[in-house]
Amino acid sequence: MRAKMRKRGERGDRGDERAVSAGASERSGRPRYEDGRAASAAPKRTRNIAGVGGWRVGALLFPALLGLTVFVLGPALVSAFTAGTDKTLTGPSFQWVGTANLREAFHDPDFGKSVVNTLLYCVLTVVPAVVVGLALALATQKVVRGRGALRLALFLPVSANLVAIAVVFAYMFDPSPKGLVNTFIGWLGAQPRNWLGDESTSLPVVALVGGWRLTSFVFVVYLAGLTAIPASVYEAADVDGIRGFARLRHVTLPLLAPTTIFLAVFTTILTLQTFETVAVLTDGGPFRSSATIVYYIFEVGFTGSFRIGYASALALLLILGIVLIGIVGSVLGRRARERAARIDETGAGLGADGDPGLALAGVGAGPGIAAEAAR
Amino acid sequence: MTQPSAPQPSVPQSSAPQPSVTEPSVGQPAGREAGAPAPRAGRRGRGRLAGLAGRAVVLALGVFFALLPFVWMARTAFGPSQSALSLTANPIPESVSFHAFQRAFEEAHLGRALVTGIVVSLAILVLQLLTAIPAAYVFAWVPFRGRAAVFGLVLATLLVPSQVTAIPNYVTISALGFANTRVGLVLPFMTSAASIFLLRQYMTTIPVSVLEAARMDGLGLLRTLRTIVVPLSMPAIATVSVFSFLLSFNEYLWPLLEARSPEIHTPPLALVTMMNSPSMGLPDFAVLSAGALIISLPSLVVFLVAQRRLTAGLTGTGVGG
Repeated sequence: MRAKMRKRGERGDRGDERAVSAGASERSGRPRYEDGRAASAAPKRTRNIAGVGGWRVGALLFPALLGLTVFVLGPALVSAFTAGTDKTLTGPSFQWVGTANLREAFHDPDFGKSVVNTLLYCVLTVVPAVVVGLALALATQKVVRGRGALRLALFLPVSANLVAIAVVFAYMFDPSPKGLVNTFIGWLGAQPRNWLGDESTSLPVVALVGGWRLTSFVFVVYLAGLTAIPASVYEAADVDGIRGFARLRHVTLPLLAPTTIFLAVFTTILTLQTFETVAVLTDGGPFRSSATIVYYIFEVGFTGSFRIGYASALALLLILGIVLIGIVGSVLGRRARERAARIDETGAGLGADGDPGLALAGVGAGPGIAAEAAR
Repeated sequence: MTQPSAPQPSVPQSSAPQPSVTEPSVGQPAGREAGAPAPRAGRRGRGRLAGLAGRAVVLALGVFFALLPFVWMARTAFGPSQSALSLTANPIPESVSFHAFQRAFEEAHLGRALVTGIVVSLAILVLQLLTAIPAAYVFAWVPFRGRAAVFGLVLATLLVPSQVTAIPNYVTISALGFANTRVGLVLPFMTSAASIFLLRQYMTTIPVSVLEAARMDGLGLLRTLRTIVVPLSMPAIATVSVFSFLLSFNEYLWPLLEARSPEIHTPPLALVTMMNSPSMGLPDFAVLSAGALIISLPSLVVFLVAQRRLTAGLTGTGVGG
């Protein structure tokens, strides 16, 4: 692939370079080059303004592509292959077993339990996080004095070290009647509970830790979304007498809809991969009541009999789920952006720059990508 | 404004009627002239007051719950020893000391872990910048046939969960002889599609004329990168650096698999190890909190220092419209 790319780069170097420069200078109003070849048909991005070509293109790309190929793309393909084998981490030899692993997954009660747990976890974290995060972002909007400190406080959970915070939550939810949470519910007249050691509360408590952090993340993204709404839209609404709750319902929320859909998709994908909090707080217990999909994959592949073949098959199913959600989100997102663009009659261009698939691209990255992809 | 010591920012009651950023008073009907309390007395006044109260409650609760774990972490860390048998929910510690911090450093070898964590995160950061900046430049400004496909492939790598690559990566790193080494902690993160993407978005905003001028002046590729592209992309580079550092410093799964011996444990790993195997008897929550606080500090410091720049960098990547 690399060789091909380089060859094409060379050709571009010789053939298109001058035409491209001509196009660029045309745009900037300077005289064209003598050969006068029209480059106007080419969109901006295809003009080689940098004048770089040949082997140098390959050299610039090589380190990045090497890293991604060796440590991400390659492993993903290897993983897809391993999913069809009975490979273990310790055993030297393995055999192709076809779809046996996938069939096993569909009859594996522990996997079924982890899927149910993960979906429950998603609902318990995503819905409250999006609602509360939006409420907080809207509420901070009009604050002028202390706005910086306020935002900082609400940003903090995002920057927290998840493991450290999970440790703190672990003793806040200590089963002892003197634990922080048990003391609090004691005031309300309730009996102390063994929060993390009880099948009915272990998952909700883990979800609380995840949701606490996710809310802050949602807040950050909504804040970016709100700042992108041009003042002129609000002015127009005000002229039309649309204020207060009506404005929230008919102007702000529809304009934020692309952000909301992005957030719903992104945070769902994020929570489908929950691992750290479970590993630190409960080890999936008690009785698998808090084991998520990724935690189960970890257990299958890296503990016990180290069945990485089966673990890869489970991971493959997870990726399929993620891609599916991403595609649905991408379609919904495009529709929401179109609607938002119609509401924004001021022509400020809100929501015009929606790159389908970008929401997908934000997976696993920080809030920066998220904010970017939210556009 | 980057001081962390402001747990009770002024709740909006007093300030809310003032004009906000997204709602400038310019161009608004006279009845809504902001600031003066008079218009609030009118028909719409009660609704506005209710809205204000609602906002204040939402914000107060939000700030309370956002800070509670941090406050509780600090309170426990500076307080006396606490085990599961001697827990207390008293918000005021009986006595204040740094004893727990000292023990955390000794028992969890946090000093060593912090050095490992910072060195590994910085190494990852340098490698990511070295690989991502040239690639981002190509994706932004150097056309070649098939570029869209290659870029699409780069973005597609963002879809692969790290748990999926962890297994084959462990095999690769072992085969290279880097299992259980710091190099092994760094290598799998040597480049990041997310960084490439963010940098590329920002680099497309470099004016055409600047690059043209560089070319007419006969600047070579490397000099263009060093003297034009990198300085002009500084806000995005800062943003990418901060996110990269935060992500690597807080990474848990990969070190858990790769760093088998305690000598190369990263901070989160060292903390969990201490929690699961306390040196004597029950875990001491004061020591655990001190440890949690210590390993949170680098991220918090980086975050606080970078907060402003971060927003600027994000704006430049196209978010600001």
